Amino acid sequence: MENNNNLPEPDTRPDVKDPSRRDFLKKSALITAVALTPAHAVKAAEKHMDERIAEAFEKMPLSLEINGAPHNLMVEPRSTLLDILREQLDLTGTKKGCDLGQCGACTVHVDGHRVISCLTLGIMVNGKKVTTIEGLAKGDQLHPMQEAFLKHDGFQCGYCTPGQIMSAVACIREGHANSEHEIREYMSGNICRCGAYPNIVNAIQEVKEGGLPV
Amino acid sequence: MKQFQYTKATSPQGVLEAISKPGTKIIAGGTNLVDHMKHGLIAPDKLVDINHLPLKGITPTKSGLHIGTLALNSVVSENALVLQKQPLLSMALKAGASPQLRNMATVGGNIMQRTRCTYFYDTIMPCNKREPGTGCGAMEGYNRMHAIFGASGQCIAVHPSDMCVALAALDAQVIITGKKGEKRMPFTDFHRLPDDHPELDNHLAKDEMILGVEIPDNNFAKNSYYLKVRDRQSYAFALVSVAVGLDLSGGTIRSARLAMGGVAHKPWRLFEAEKFLAGKTATEDNFKQAAQLAMQGAKAYEYNAFKLKLAPAAITEALKHASGIV
Amino acid sequence: MNTPKEGITRVDGRLKVTGSIRYAAEYPFPGLVYGAVVSSTIAKGTITGIDSKATESAPGVVAVISHLNAPKIPGYEGGEHEIKTFNDSKIYFNGQPIALVIADTFERAKFAASLVKVQYSKEQHQTNIDAGLQNTFKPWGDGSDYLRGEANAYQNAPVKIEAEYRTPIHVHNAMEPFAMTAKWDGDKVTVYTKSQYIKGMQREIMGMFKLPEEHVTVNSKVIGGAFGSGSPLWPYAKAALIGAKMIGKPLKVVIDRGQMFTMVGYRSPAIQKLGMGATADGKLTGITHIATGETATYQQFAEGITSTTNILYDCPNVNTQYRLTRLDMSVPTYTRGPGETTVVFALESAVDELANALNMNPLEFRKKNYSEKDPEQSLPWSSKYLKECYEIGATHFGWDKRNQKPGLVMKDGWLVGYGVSNGVYGAGRAPCTAKARLSADGILLIQSSTSDMGPGTATVMVKIASDIINIPVENIKFELGNSSLPAAPGEYGSMTTSSVGSAVYEVCTALNEKFNQLDGKSGAGDPDYARILKEHNLPFVEVTHKSGGTPNADKYSSHAYCVHFVEVNVHPTLGTVKVTRVVAALDGGKILNPITARSQVIGGAVWGISMALMEGGVLDHRYGKYVNNNLADYHFASNADVPQIEVLFVDKPDPVTNAMGSKGIGEVTIVGFAAAVANAVFNATGKRVRDLPITPDKLV
Repeated sequence: MENNNNLPEPDTRPDVKDPSRRDFLKKSALITAVALTPAHAVKAAEKHMDERIAEAFEKMPLSLEINGAPHNLMVEPRSTLLDILREQLDLTGTKKGCDLGQCGACTVHVDGHRVISCLTLGIMVNGKKVTTIEGLAKGDQLHPMQEAFLKHDGFQCGYCTPGQIMSAVACIREGHANSEHEIREYMSGNICRCGAYPNIVNAIQEVKEGGLPV
Repeated sequence: MKQFQYTKATSPQGVLEAISKPGTKIIAGGTNLVDHMKHGLIAPDKLVDINHLPLKGITPTKSGLHIGTLALNSVVSENALVLQKQPLLSMALKAGASPQLRNMATVGGNIMQRTRCTYFYDTIMPCNKREPGTGCGAMEGYNRMHAIFGASGQCIAVHPSDMCVALAALDAQVIITGKKGEKRMPFTDFHRLPDDHPELDNHLAKDEMILGVEIPDNNFAKNSYYLKVRDRQSYAFALVSVAVGLDLSGGTIRSARLAMGGVAHKPWRLFEAEKFLAGKTATEDNFKQAAQLAMQGAKAYEYNAFKLKLAPAAITEALKHASGIV
Repeated sequence: MNTPKEGITRVDGRLKVTGSIRYAAEYPFPGLVYGAVVSSTIAKGTITGIDSKATESAPGVVAVISHLNAPKIPGYEGGEHEIKTFNDSKIYFNGQPIALVIADTFERAKFAASLVKVQYSKEQHQTNIDAGLQNTFKPWGDGSDYLRGEANAYQNAPVKIEAEYRTPIHVHNAMEPFAMTAKWDGDKVTVYTKSQYIKGMQREIMGMFKLPEEHVTVNSKVIGGAFGSGSPLWPYAKAALIGAKMIGKPLKVVIDRGQMFTMVGYRSPAIQKLGMGATADGKLTGITHIATGETATYQQFAEGITSTTNILYDCPNVNTQYRLTRLDMSVPTYTRGPGETTVVFALESAVDELANALNMNPLEFRKKNYSEKDPEQSLPWSSKYLKECYEIGATHFGWDKRNQKPGLVMKDGWLVGYGVSNGVYGAGRAPCTAKARLSADGILLIQSSTSDMGPGTATVMVKIASDIINIPVENIKFELGNSSLPAAPGEYGSMTTSSVGSAVYEVCTALNEKFNQLDGKSGAGDPDYARILKEHNLPFVEVTHKSGGTPNADKYSSHAYCVHFVEVNVHPTLGTVKVTRVVAALDGGKILNPITARSQVIGGAVWGISMALMEGGVLDHRYGKYVNNNLADYHFASNADVPQIEVLFVDKPDPVTNAMGSKGIGEVTIVGFAAAVANAVFNATGKRVRDLPITPDKLV
């Protein structure tokens, strides 16, 4: 899935009209497409132009570090970080629950902070470090929060669990795990339909009190 | 979501240049914009990412506190200066959304966020805000969350922000840049009532952008409170919310600032109640009278009549908390 | 027994906490394409045209499938009443799947689907249960009514109450959206999906395409929640099967959150009228219960929302009536505690109202009217430790501190109230087959085609096996989630531990016997497996065994019980309600794996909190359309809404239901909870809310 191409970084100069696309397309030797905008690209497809033109035109290079490994990808600007993780990189540990920022199942860390990956455009985290549930354990050794979720049975169906765990780790790192009440409030962005909340709170309290680095 | 072009801005001037063209939108945190794009409410041709502009700072000014438009909601809510000088703002921010969303959402984005009215969101329903002239689905529909103040025959939606309620109460100024240069607008004048143009949420021109807000120094820090009444205890929009700042001397209110959320198309400042409270003693009875004054002109619809009772109760309760008589 | 007393942690837990277990939408086949479902935007009528020109020419689009171009499905012939996806132009409800757009990426499929333009010929629709009350029918013919003693006897009682209770639509809203990945290989098909009843779904697919069993494989290794919604082959899944067959590529169809409200069932709303009368000293003399629910125009679903009234209390005169009305809605389905959850809210609220009318402690009232045998069938209970639940629950909760007079207790500015309610749910079991193989490598593998939607099916099966097969518990594997495994019943009705567990128990016992036979002994005592395999030069010993249905069903009536004690805080002027304490006391027979059983009880209580205080699907009946079909507007509990929940097990075996002595607990743990909250709110405020959910607007 990875694409180690030699395309230029997207030009960030705001005053130049679509330079990245222009360069990109030139290098792709699709000179005829120079004047195209995405709306035109759709029209091009409508006119049954070679679909590869439209496809190449719509994608942008994205470099980011995921769980410590560098990735160079081509993505559509509209692709969310969540869909890139799940569909392009097969990192399916990050879950899609609502796709609208209303459940927290897609929580990942970007540069160490928990965010909602379904509302994060992939292209906007270019150059950043992303940590997903797959990046928490060190080899066979589970992260203390994963151990605590296991021990306290902090889940049933398991679908919201990766988001819960990513959020729980952040909750401690942020300093928002100082009481049961505070944990509940700061874990409320992660909805669990099975209702494992009390066990989740207990798991977080144990990790916090255990003082192990998270 | 329709495909679009994406560019990064490196200067406010570049942003102004970009947004002067139709079909171009600014993206910052994206929590509201991406949501809208997924719902098909808007389909921009081009997004200008402003996250790399140096507009994140929270700095004291001669007579106030300046907060950059890109400061994250989570960062503002925990900032030492904010906690010390304007704890009401921190309380309001922490009552909004979820920790993850607050880690993405910016101050400017929060100000610009649009209503959560279900008829606005559902593209097969009529909505004058989304599509002028199609009618208001909420007026005779399910309007439990809707306005009791300042609505028009065109729209009864409410502004969903918590942060803005605090900023309205705190007499903040919105700092705006446009082709004609920088200007300031009182926060209470920034958002609009729907009147005949519900498609417009505020007075920001299409070719302007928000650079930040400034909150003047005040004496409310010790006696501030943000009360949010909602259907669950967290991660839910307000049925009614109240921001209170009191300048108390002994038991006497020197001045009061009050604003409500969940009741109008804009953060709803309670000027009459403030006037009434100035010079009065902090008693539950005075609070109740202030609350009754605040409710003048309120009008309910089929499903939100409860707000006529809930709102004054919330005002009274928030005043009690702020004054410490609870 | 070679496991700790509190049981074992989840055998698939490590896979879940590392995110490495794969749910239905997470199988990356080469050449996989993506399907987006287009929903109807009217509630009733006919499709007159579909304009998909823009869609078809959008980048990446592979196909647009609807009734206009779908092939004839052989299984659509005949008298089935469910939605025959892409068969015709009829619209039965708003949000019905009407087309499938297939593209090479998710984003492209989703966008292209938004370009489909559909023209309709609209007809007048009705989605409001109130409007349907005048137009009801008996879902089970004469079986819809029940009478013992005299009808409406409550009317002549010295103390009586009459009330109407309302419960709204509940949408399961499992966190995992429904998904099906379908892959055809000639006339063989393999699907990856969410299925609570794998063999049932296999049969449905066989029927749809007229295929032999060996040509249909259903995989459902893990389920991201289902709560009753995961059994049928829903219309979206039929679309995936048809689409994959037409384009000849592996196809993944995932419905979105909004579609979860109309495409995969929901709990019917209900309007229930109850009359209840007692003697002055609190002995029930009559109960009348009339309930109405809703179903679809095209398919009947009935859950029986009066049956519990027939059995929960000792009362000489009981008459109940169950009716349905047909609306232009998608068909409802089983939802956690189906039937009981709805009826017991009304019944246990009414009991509280009557106890208060008698000025009697509602727990004493319940004890006074305890049914010592099943009053409907005149059968003894196989076991009933409800009284024990009352005792241990009341003690732990501090029920004796409850104020009989409501509205008097205030703490930190909040009104405080206590409430209690009964939950009850049948403890049945169904036939099940399991295969057990113990190999020379010391691994015991047990297989059955059951599912796990979250309770921890494999975990409890390993626990059951470990109590019989004396090998290290980590050497016991349980495989589920595939239709080619030995036949298991569906994972519903709180029957899995009892049904599949019995098969596991019996197959393990048979395995021991087989080993002992090889060793020239009889009985099922601990064999020396390794030595016997070695001596007989066997790579493994294997047994397949089918266990039976509920034993002695004609001699005993079997139920699990749960008593919930709830403390609430109610804000006196804002009307907000917080559940601050919960004690759940449970008679689930012998508790086989306390760690996971406890989680199920907690989960039921959390569902109860949601049902009591926040949940309800709302439609704008002008459009016949949901106005809260998302997780920001359709609320259920967040972490902040849930206190610690104390779980107490009576933990006494049921001597009849199965050899382990267990009674299923998944359903019973939600039953009655909402009434306990409503009763506690009454105790706190003196206000009786009979219309769920109890949101601030109803108390302010």
